[in-house]
Amino acid sequence: MMKKNHITELIPEYLDGLLSQSQKEEVRLHLKECESCLKELEEYKTIFNAFEEEKEVIPSEHIKTNFFEQIEIEKQKESKVVPLINRTSNQKKIWLLPIMKIAASILLLIGGYALGNYQQEQKGNHKIAQLQEKTQKIKQTAMLSLIGNKSASKRIQGVNYIDEFSNPDEAIVAALVDRMLYDENTNVRLTAVEALSNFITSEEVKNAFIKALKIEKAPAIQIIIIQVLVKIQEKKAIIPMKKLLEQNETQPFIKEQIKSSIINIV
Amino acid sequence: MKKIILFIVFATIVNLTAIAQDYHQSLEGIEWVKIESKSSIIVKAYDKNELLIKAGNRGEINEKAKGLRLVGEDGTDNTNIGFYVIKEGNNLIVRNLKKNEHAIIYLPASQNISVKTTWHGDINIFNFTSEIEATAELNGSVAIKDVTGPITANSLNGEVQVSFSKVSQKSPITIYSTNGELEISLPKNTPADLSLYSTNGDIYTNFDISTPSKKGMRSVSSKKIKGTINKGGVNIKLNTTNGNIYLRKR
Repeated sequence: MMKKNHITELIPEYLDGLLSQSQKEEVRLHLKECESCLKELEEYKTIFNAFEEEKEVIPSEHIKTNFFEQIEIEKQKESKVVPLINRTSNQKKIWLLPIMKIAASILLLIGGYALGNYQQEQKGNHKIAQLQEKTQKIKQTAMLSLIGNKSASKRIQGVNYIDEFSNPDEAIVAALVDRMLYDENTNVRLTAVEALSNFITSEEVKNAFIKALKIEKAPAIQIIIIQVLVKIQEKKAIIPMKKLLEQNETQPFIKEQIKSSIINIV
Repeated sequence: MKKIILFIVFATIVNLTAIAQDYHQSLEGIEWVKIESKSSIIVKAYDKNELLIKAGNRGEINEKAKGLRLVGEDGTDNTNIGFYVIKEGNNLIVRNLKKNEHAIIYLPASQNISVKTTWHGDINIFNFTSEIEATAELNGSVAIKDVTGPITANSLNGEVQVSFSKVSQKSPITIYSTNGELEISLPKNTPADLSLYSTNGDIYTNFDISTPSKKGMRSVSSKKIKGTINKGGVNIKLNTTNGNIYLRKR
C-alpha cells in the first residue's frame, strides 16, 4: 500500500524532525522499500546542507554596516573623476576590499536566488506532474464516458482514445475488454480488438482474446483474434480454434486460416 | 371536366386506402429509432416529425388471416401492418415481423437511426443528416445515399455502398464487410484521416492520400493504408476481409 503512496511530501518535515513517532516510523519503513523516495530524501538533504553552509558565509552585522559605509564611500569616490592610473598601490588595496565585499554579497544573492529557484522548480515539477496526472484523469473520464455512449460511432471514438495513453490502467483495459466481448455493434467490437491487440502481452488481455475467440461470431473479428494469438504462439488458443474447425457455421476462410496457422504453434 | 373530377375522386380514394395501410407514430423524446427486419427495408428522410411506415403489400389482404393476429419470434403485430413498434426508454424499436415483405419507413432527416437486417434483407437509406448505424447480418447488402454521417456500417456477404453529400466531422466513420465489396464516395474536398485495410481484397481510390513518411521513406504496406486527405480530419476507416474497396471522389 505504502509503495503506491509516496511520502515525498513528508520528507522535509521528516528531516526537520517535525513528524510524529508513528509517521516517522512509516517514512522509515517506506524509505527502505522505495528507491525513488530515498533519492528524493538524498536530494532534500543536499539542499538542506547547502542551506546550512550558506548560513556560515552570511556576513555579520558589523560587516553589513561596514558594507553600506563602503558603498557610500565608493559613491563619493565615483563622483570624483579620478584616473585609475594615478592611484597608488595602497589606494588600490583599499578600493579592492569593498569590491570583494560587493562581489561576495552579489554571489550570496545569486546563490540564494538559485537555491530558492531550485526549490521552486522542485515544487513546479511536482505541480506539472500533478497537472499531467489530472489531464490523464480527465482523458480517462472522457474515454470511459464515450465508451458508454449509446451511439456506436461515439463508442468507437472512445475506444480510439486509447492512443492517448502510453500506459493505460486497469479501468481502461477492463472497459475495452468489455466492449470487445459484449458490444452489440460489430464495428465497436472490431475496433476494440484492434486497440487491445497492442497490449496482447498483458495476461488479462490474452485471456480476454481467448474468451473472445470462443464467443465471437463475426468472421472479420475472428480472423484478427486468430492472427494475434498465433503471432504470440498462444497455446491456449488451440482448443477454441479446433472447435471453430468443427463448427458448420464457421466461414471457410477462417477454417483455412486456422489450418494453416495451428501448426505454427509449437 | 368530368374526367378531371373523376380522376380527383379516384385519386382521393386511392389515397384514403393508402392512409389506411400506413402507420404513424410520434417521435417525441426519441433519440434513436432502431429498425430490425428479416426482409429488405427502405428508410427515407421526409419533412414531418413522426415515424411513418408504408407496408409493402398495399391493398392486398390475406383473407385467411382475417380475425387473426400476426405473431413473430420478436413480438406481436401492434400496428396492423405487420410491424411491432415499442418505445424502450428513448429508443423506438421498430420490428418488421413479416419475413418476406418489403417496407418503406419515413423519418425526419435529423433522426438517428440504427437498421439491422438478418437473412436476405437489403438495407437502403436515403438523405439523412443524422447518425446512421447499419448492419446486414447475413446476405443482405447496404446502400446509404446522400448522407453526412457519422456512419457505422457492416455486412457479412453483401456489398456496402455509401455516398456522402458532406462528411460530418463529429465522430468516426467505420465501414466494413467480410465478404462483400465496399464502394464509398466522398466530396473531393473532404478533410479526413483515412485508414484502409483489406486482408485479401484490393484497394482502389482516386484520392491523393498523403501517407506519413518515416525518415524520408514512404510507408509501403500493401494491405494497410493510413494517411490523410485534404490535410486530415475525421477518422474514416474502411475495412474488408475478402472484398475489394473502392473509394471515389464525388
